[in-house]
Amino acid sequence: MSEKILSIKDLGKSFGNHEVLRRIDIEVNKGEVICIVGSSGSGKSTLLRCINRLEKQTRGQIFYHDKEVRDVQKEINDYRSKVGMVFQSFNLFNNMTVLENCMLCTRKVLHISKEEAFDRAITHLKEVGMAPYINAKPSMLSGGQKQRVAIARALCMNPEILLFDEPTSALDPEMVGEVLAVMKELATTGLTMIIVTHEMAFARDVSTRTIFMDNGYVAEDAAPEILFSNPKNARTREFLSRYLAG
Amino acid sequence: MIMSLLSGEPTNSLEWTIFLAGKYSAMFLQGTYLTLYTAVIGTIVGFVLGYLIGVIQDMTINPGDNVVKKILVRVLKWISSVYVEVFRDTPMIVQAMIIYYGLRQANVEMTPVFAGILVTVLNTGAYMAETVRAGIGSIDIGQREGAFAMGMSPMKTMFYVVLPQAFKNIIPEMANTFLTNLKMTSVLNVIAVQELFMAAKTAGGNYYKYFESYLVIALIYFVLCFVFNKLFILIEKRMQGSEDYALAVEYMDNQ
Repeated sequence: MSEKILSIKDLGKSFGNHEVLRRIDIEVNKGEVICIVGSSGSGKSTLLRCINRLEKQTRGQIFYHDKEVRDVQKEINDYRSKVGMVFQSFNLFNNMTVLENCMLCTRKVLHISKEEAFDRAITHLKEVGMAPYINAKPSMLSGGQKQRVAIARALCMNPEILLFDEPTSALDPEMVGEVLAVMKELATTGLTMIIVTHEMAFARDVSTRTIFMDNGYVAEDAAPEILFSNPKNARTREFLSRYLAG
Repeated sequence: MIMSLLSGEPTNSLEWTIFLAGKYSAMFLQGTYLTLYTAVIGTIVGFVLGYLIGVIQDMTINPGDNVVKKILVRVLKWISSVYVEVFRDTPMIVQAMIIYYGLRQANVEMTPVFAGILVTVLNTGAYMAETVRAGIGSIDIGQREGAFAMGMSPMKTMFYVVLPQAFKNIIPEMANTFLTNLKMTSVLNVIAVQELFMAAKTAGGNYYKYFESYLVIALIYFVLCFVFNKLFILIEKRMQGSEDYALAVEYMDNQ
């Protein structure tokens, strides 16, 4: 297989006595589009947040290009600038316009020139169809528009991997479509993506690999055509049949 | 009434009030100036101190950070929490006495006005620290996570994302603090700052007309606070910003 970017080894996370993640081992290669599915509470979002270091794992390590990301602020910052994240609740900076949202981190973290930051912002805002709204504040946009801006903002950093934490769960059905379309488009560009989602059809069509999580474990990790049509794990079968029936 | 005023023989309280205000106008003006001077400088510097302490109290350390940073952050946090506790739990009038006379005993010479401003700064800083902490807490954690997730350091995130929003939320509380300070400067007469209260005490004492004399400064305090209050409301409205935005027509083909 191609170049390995990320490897997660024996990752565990507990909140008090509650063990949310148990012994997670995942390797992510360049160009993969990985969808993580599973019922609520199975640890999908926590896993993603651990990957971005927004949660501190209680066990295990994360290696980025075979180098461990240690618990040092500087290393975490450098690592995060390469591993972007898109949130369920968008998390656009409310005190800034769309353009400023897209330029802040490229200016302050990557220290690129104002002109270059502007060019990048416009390029990626065009990609998601939000360029006309550069002067708007987040509060003036619809949910789908906000999420598209958030995706553009993350792309401005030229990330090596982009993490999506249920990007469409806070949106109404009409807006889900516009965000998924943008993500589908992105998947074809060769960007490495890890997507936590409840959109099964999207996962089946777009992912190159699908992971089913259950009760803090990776229950099944397979190509989507196998996982969706011929799952090996009993829990996967149960979950999918409920999903497709309901 | 006018006649009696001209002849210099006030006969009732109203006339006495006007008489005192006229006779000691220079002193009242000077008192107003010092009150404003102390309150404005004390509040502004106090706000800066409060923001600093508020941010320090919000600092976090990672297990992997180097030892110097860990110790520094712990010490800073300890000092600031002791400071906030001490100054919030003692009256300003007592702080004024202790700082002014205490420092004089230690042979640190300073003018009463300087001591007055120092006390105001320290007092405001302690209260502001708590206000800033609450302001920071009022900002959704997602705002920080959005910045963290792109590699922004906690300090930069605080400075560019959290504080500007927290600032907006605590403007009413900051206005409140300033108005309180404007009136609290009156306690500084105990360390001989020639502010409004001192002026009224002196003017009233000369004629044994305290009620009338304090009526004069009550009016001055009221007008000052009233004006500033309106000013702050105006600023707050300005900070709300426009509800409108212009579409960037040059990119209109891109929807």
